[in-house]
Amino acid sequence: MLRLWPLGLGVNFSFTGDGEHNGATVGFDNYAELIDDPLFRTALRNVGLLVLLLPVAVAIPGLLATFIYLRVPGHRIFRSVYFFPAVLSPVIVGAIFNLLLAFDGPLNAVLGGSGLGPVDWLGDPDVAMFTVVGVHIWATSGMALVVFLAGFSTLDPALLDAARVDGASLARMIWHVIIPGVSRTIQFVVVTTMIGMLTSMFGLLYVMTSGGPEGSTYLPEYYIWVQQGQMSRPALASAASTVLFLVMLVVGLLQVGLLRRAGRED
Amino acid sequence: MKQRTLWSASLVAGLVVLAGCGSASDPDAASGDSQGKLVVWDWKSGDATASSYVKKAKADFAKRHPGVTVEFVAQPFEQYYTLLGAAIQAGKGPDVMLFNGGGQLRDRADSLLPLDEYVRDDRKRLAGWEAFTKDGKTYAAPVTLQGHPIYYNKSLYRKAGLDPEQPATSWDEFVADCRTITKATGARCFAQGNKEGIGIQFFLSGLGSGVLSPKEYDDWIAGRRDWSSPAVKRVFSLWKEADDKGLNNDGANSTAMFNDAFAVFQSNKAAHVIGLMSDVGHWKDFAEFLDADDVGVMKSPVVTAGATPRLPYDGGIGYAVAKRTKDPKVAADLVRSLSSTDALKSFHTDAGAIAADRTVDVSSAGPAVATIVSEIDRGKPALHVALSSKTVDLMGRLSQQLLSGSVTVDSAVEQLAASDRAG
Repeated sequence: MLRLWPLGLGVNFSFTGDGEHNGATVGFDNYAELIDDPLFRTALRNVGLLVLLLPVAVAIPGLLATFIYLRVPGHRIFRSVYFFPAVLSPVIVGAIFNLLLAFDGPLNAVLGGSGLGPVDWLGDPDVAMFTVVGVHIWATSGMALVVFLAGFSTLDPALLDAARVDGASLARMIWHVIIPGVSRTIQFVVVTTMIGMLTSMFGLLYVMTSGGPEGSTYLPEYYIWVQQGQMSRPALASAASTVLFLVMLVVGLLQVGLLRRAGRED
Repeated sequence: MKQRTLWSASLVAGLVVLAGCGSASDPDAASGDSQGKLVVWDWKSGDATASSYVKKAKADFAKRHPGVTVEFVAQPFEQYYTLLGAAIQAGKGPDVMLFNGGGQLRDRADSLLPLDEYVRDDRKRLAGWEAFTKDGKTYAAPVTLQGHPIYYNKSLYRKAGLDPEQPATSWDEFVADCRTITKATGARCFAQGNKEGIGIQFFLSGLGSGVLSPKEYDDWIAGRRDWSSPAVKRVFSLWKEADDKGLNNDGANSTAMFNDAFAVFQSNKAAHVIGLMSDVGHWKDFAEFLDADDVGVMKSPVVTAGATPRLPYDGGIGYAVAKRTKDPKVAADLVRSLSSTDALKSFHTDAGAIAADRTVDVSSAGPAVATIVSEIDRGKPALHVALSSKTVDLMGRLSQQLLSGSVTVDSAVEQLAASDRAG
């Protein structure tokens, strides 16, 4: 009951009005308003963008873990360095990258010095979402990397040795030996990374872009927060929250299906 | 799998059947406060510069109500309205609470106590009541005045060979002076921060009286806003033009107003900034980095003939009383103590805010304050404060689109008109 009752209240509120219609039943009016709101549509589009960027978010820690597993020089140091950001608060990460990525900040100074010109990392609507996702991946990939390393420990070293004896290149070893060997780990990281991207980016968005520029970095969570707190529209926020709940439900069911299929393959 | 999907679908269907009963807010919730205690929420009482102010207000209140304890709860400003909104909706909010003048208060007027009968004696002494008024009723007593003076750096003017005591009075002269300053010192004309879409609010109010005719200005404040008028469009084309001509610092859309844009001004990288006159981004902050005598205050240059530049200001912050408080008179008395002359004098001295009290002596505060205060009686309410929170939010996004070129002035103004009409 403690879990379902608040959920029920949220759905219930989404069918009531805000402001002067406070408490009155308004049917699907809030949902109609959401569909009409270009800002909410942008937020949903950005959810789609996150799904598209998911392979990148999984591939980066996967590759880094592979290099550590294959004992590149300095792999012990890299293991720590890659993990450190995972213990930083998103607020601190955002503040640090705000400084680094400022228009007159050090990264643009380097780019300017090399003749590439400055990039408005957080002020260009075509760039800002990728910047925030990039920082999110930087901050969270350490955890995925640890999971990958745990998965690698189950790999049979004899297979890698055999590949080496056969003269396989690094790329072929990764493709034909490592990836099939850690397929269940990859599936687990896909699921957890996706949940993280959909539910844990609020802090970074709040600190780095506040949903801007031009609303280009809105996600449903941020939209809900703005409507509830800044615009005093709790019923509309409840409707947006219900939509997000349904999106997460669908994504969750797809993930469960994916894991079950993986289990059957084994 | 199929069974689980059915369960999930049943749950959602069940919730939909129950939907529409009740409301997201709870206006009828009874006060949960204990007798003899008032809880105040604000974002100021935790500041060192406000401690003397709070102490004096509490002492004033204790004299009249010795049996009532007052608890101040300082909230972080970034979260303030979110927390307050949630508390009000849950019917568990504070008895007395701080508000910025304008939309945030008006949006929540339904949950607030009209104070007119309690603050009658303070009417003349305090200024800035309009920002805390909705439909003819007053919901908070002003503590400070908030406005948007154009601050300028007199030392940059001197270095460029310009007379710092005679800033430009027309837009063309102003742009020419800026070109001269940039050529001589490398400093840009405006320190501009529009990362959160706040820059356009300052620009609209700071320069609006130099663009709109006096009648258009008054009509705007009275709610008769003609978004299709050439002067209104000119404000937004001027916003774009200033950026296109390189008058702003680079990357205005990724520069936060607080405190990056102000830092640009303080560090001599821009000659002007449209700042505030409350206790952040104002004359006292700037005077910590620039010589106090080098902080100048000017009125908007005249952009269109017939405009009469004036200081744009409103009530800045003020304390309101929750409708659900147990003893409205006692809570209103606390508001009166929080806006008493003695307390506000401390706020002005320690925080540098322009107090809402006309009787507070500011003669020792320096030339910038003297200029601001001398303009208060001729001043007008700020243009952006008259807009709803929703329209201000939209204006922030559209202003960013104007700078990046992804929307035209005509389209931006049409969207703002539609939002303004919808309320």
